[in-house]
Amino acid sequence: MSQTERQPTELTLRGQRATGEGALRGVRGVGSLYVHVPFCFHKCHYCDFYSFVDSRDRQGVFLERLKAELGVLAGHAGALRTVFVGGGTPSLLRAELWEDLLGWLRERFAFGEGCEFTVECNPETVTPELMGVLAAGGVNRVSVGAQSFDRRHLATLERWHEPENVGRALAMARDAGIERRSLDLIFAIPGQTLGEWERDLETALGLPVDHLSCYALTYEPNTAMTKRLERGEFAGADEDLEADMYERTVEMLGSAGFERYEVSNFARSGMACAHNMVYWRGEEWLAAGPSGSAHAGGQRWKNVPHLTEWMDGVARSGGYSPIVDYEGQDALRALCERIMLGLRLGEGLDAEDLQRRAASLGVWEAVRMRIEAHRRSGMLTDERERVRLSGRGFLFADGIASDLMIAAQEKTPG
Amino acid sequence: MARSGYDRCSRPSEKPVGVFGCVIGASGAVIVTINPASIMQIRNFSIIAHIDHGKSTLADRLLQSTHAVSDREAREQFLDDMDLERERGITIKASAVTVKHMVDGEEFMLNFIDTPGHVDFSYEVSRALKACEGAVLVVDSTQGVEAQTVANAYLAIGQDLQLIPVVNKIDLPAAQPDEVAMEIEQILGLPAEDCIYCSAKTGEGIDELLNRICRDLPGPRPPETDKLRALIFDSHYDDYRGVVVYIRVFDGRLRVGDKIRMMGSGRTYFCTELGKYTPKPTKVAEMGPGETGYLIASIKTLADVRVGDTVTQDSNPAAKALEGYEEPKQMVFCDFYPSTTEGKGNSFEELRDAMERLALNDASFTYQPVHSEALGFGFRCGFLGLLHMDIIQERLEREGGVEVVQTAPTVTYQLELTSGEVLEVHNPADLPDPSTWRELKEPIVRTEIIVPREYVGDIMALCMARRGVFKSQTALSETRQMLTWEIPLAEIIYDFYDKLKSMTRGYATMDYEIIGFNPERLAKVDILINGAPVEALSFIAYRDTADKRARGLLVKLKKEIDRHQFEIPLQAAIGGKVIARETIKAMRKNVTAKCYGGDVSRKRKLLDKQKKGKAKMKSIGSVEVPQEAFMAVLDTGE
Repeated sequence: MSQTERQPTELTLRGQRATGEGALRGVRGVGSLYVHVPFCFHKCHYCDFYSFVDSRDRQGVFLERLKAELGVLAGHAGALRTVFVGGGTPSLLRAELWEDLLGWLRERFAFGEGCEFTVECNPETVTPELMGVLAAGGVNRVSVGAQSFDRRHLATLERWHEPENVGRALAMARDAGIERRSLDLIFAIPGQTLGEWERDLETALGLPVDHLSCYALTYEPNTAMTKRLERGEFAGADEDLEADMYERTVEMLGSAGFERYEVSNFARSGMACAHNMVYWRGEEWLAAGPSGSAHAGGQRWKNVPHLTEWMDGVARSGGYSPIVDYEGQDALRALCERIMLGLRLGEGLDAEDLQRRAASLGVWEAVRMRIEAHRRSGMLTDERERVRLSGRGFLFADGIASDLMIAAQEKTPG
Repeated sequence: MARSGYDRCSRPSEKPVGVFGCVIGASGAVIVTINPASIMQIRNFSIIAHIDHGKSTLADRLLQSTHAVSDREAREQFLDDMDLERERGITIKASAVTVKHMVDGEEFMLNFIDTPGHVDFSYEVSRALKACEGAVLVVDSTQGVEAQTVANAYLAIGQDLQLIPVVNKIDLPAAQPDEVAMEIEQILGLPAEDCIYCSAKTGEGIDELLNRICRDLPGPRPPETDKLRALIFDSHYDDYRGVVVYIRVFDGRLRVGDKIRMMGSGRTYFCTELGKYTPKPTKVAEMGPGETGYLIASIKTLADVRVGDTVTQDSNPAAKALEGYEEPKQMVFCDFYPSTTEGKGNSFEELRDAMERLALNDASFTYQPVHSEALGFGFRCGFLGLLHMDIIQERLEREGGVEVVQTAPTVTYQLELTSGEVLEVHNPADLPDPSTWRELKEPIVRTEIIVPREYVGDIMALCMARRGVFKSQTALSETRQMLTWEIPLAEIIYDFYDKLKSMTRGYATMDYEIIGFNPERLAKVDILINGAPVEALSFIAYRDTADKRARGLLVKLKKEIDRHQFEIPLQAAIGGKVIARETIKAMRKNVTAKCYGGDVSRKRKLLDKQKKGKAKMKSIGSVEVPQEAFMAVLDTGE
């Protein structure tokens, strides 16, 4: 079991043990939905998502509870524009359960025209049968966790799939009629050279994909890998090499027609992940399943990250999950989030929207001065209508976001 | 009543026996007196030893054997009453205990004056020894003579004390009492056959030791005048009673109610209480020549009492004070700043309160407020030595409840100006322009190092590298040697002891004594970050090795300062001439790879934390320098 299962959940919202009920009050017409499937067949040591290896088969009960929760959420949703099923390993859910879930979703939710419906897949667990079921149920996009095509580096990450199976999984999706396909790749793996990373990118570009997510390996707190790094069992990648790899990624993918539309996400024209754009543009979405996070009505909250607790809670409260990490409406927090998330995007922030939000808090002058300073140093572009990172600025997105957030949070006199 | 302890006598009609008399005071309190004629039956003595050679256990055993402490109430190491002392196995404060002992029907009063055992406290040892006529020199039979054995023995011999050598811990399987007795003879010239073999643990040899103390040690000298002269040899602060002054009466008598005068400071007080620790505090009505005890006189702070001063009667003062002791001399300095981590005990005000409280019961360290551009407001403190510094830091944190940041220690330099004036400088930042001074002198110590023979070569090389001047080499035994070197103190405080210990797998011991100041080729090294000089990082160093030390410092600094968006040169310079240089490369990348819906709150908080971290940093030459950088740099390791 993952250690996140031990997290305390005794949190109260409006005087009660918190459930999604309070947060959802007044929330209507949300167009995006995230569903979390926590099962995995192996807990990778770099992963900090809520997931665990299920030794008992709880998939059936899980699905019943998920349907109960989705039943409640349906009342707060409008016509869906995006759906994303992540994990965990959603492709580990048995095909007949998938069929049940997809049919049920169709029944309860309204799907908008051209709704983007993504399912995360593990290259080892997909079958033509599963792909058929997904496609028939309206799934039109898969995201396959490839991470690397080099066995040695896969082993470092504790990923045990065969590199060839990545291409096989994508082919299965294509053959089943799933039109949009993405791969996840990881670079700056300990021991990886720039040349090896370039080969991974070349291999990925040779596969039937329209979207690539390329992440620098991140040592998330409380993961097994971070603890091993801290114990000195291996050395992390050199900062210069990591920067070289990132710059090379932008270059290689750019010349292959994949535009960087977010720090770590690259897509052919029009193929950006609409669901993830909802996160980065600060729009609303609902979430189902343990540890799923939602953002609606200016609030953020997270379902309890514990399978049994979530299942019990949902059963007890008629479909509402117990929740943790609730954050209510807060204009300053929202402004900071806009800055942090918007700067990550190729399109950047809408300058007018930013000015309006900052001005209402009386901090626009402070923020504007910092924006001008970063424009002068070439970190932000000179476009007046957008606040947008330059190519070089992307390498320092955190520092610039932090700096603007400081300006927003400093009390301006008067 | 004779063997049952003074605090038990109950009948006022009982006749005094031996040295001791006993009366019940008006209030009913038990008061102990001395028969004035019995001065020759008083023995004032100390126990001196190298650290961990069993001094405190021996002291306890002596108290137990005289029945001053019952077996039941005998807790280990009765005389050490601070936790810290117990933990570190050292005694910080000297205290005096009075017990009695019968030899062949003759009763003796034993005034046992406890002394600290460590290298830094030779000053405290010397002032305690002033009150004694003799000393028991304890050597561990499994360890042999060590550096502090020698240093303490020299101090005692220097004050004409009679020594009784004791070979302790003979119950241990590894004991080699005969060899150790030979070492004592070899190095200190005390005949091996005079050594008492004992075990403080089993009690073996304790009776013999008590008898020897009574028979071999001289009694107090006869009074030279009937006017009161009592020497202050220690003092401590008691929360309830104020300052408790330890005195040794040499001449005349002192009574409760007397108006007394401190001959050095000229201050006058009324003596409100006299007493002895037996070891429980026991009041007495008066004290005469040869006696040792405590004095309470409504003295508010330790600063009002000068150790070494002479107490006399205000109305009938002595003509001349006793030969005094020297003022404690602070030779090692460092700064304490409140820690910047958030929380209780981390403000300047709390640090100041803790300093003031600590100063109440340790008059031998000094402190004055300072401001550092890097660390804010704090205190520059002076200490007797390195251990003293560590103890003060621990006591500040433990007893004062504050968290402190400590800078690297420096020594006191003597600066001779062109005007002929001599200044003391212990902060490189205080060094004036080189054109205004003629000579900079640094303190030199004589150090005795005792080391197994196979390490002699290594230690010689170490001392040489630290600008040492070789003085002598003496064989203690077939396997051990004593080396005497003169070395600048600045080289000793800079990780010398750690090096010594690690090079000899812990076998070497050392002690040192400051013998004077020497003019040296010294220079102030400035550290520049991105071209901006950082006063808090400057240091005084020996010119010929300054570049090596500067380079080590820059390498550490480089590790502590995060990369910035621009390249940062780090330089060390003497008078504008760069002697070492390092470069922090420009940062290439500062961006979170993954940030999705569930990550927003956590990532936002992380960026907020980056911001808070920045607030704590000091901006120098547009470089954000974390406090850790100052600390790591000031850490003296290489």
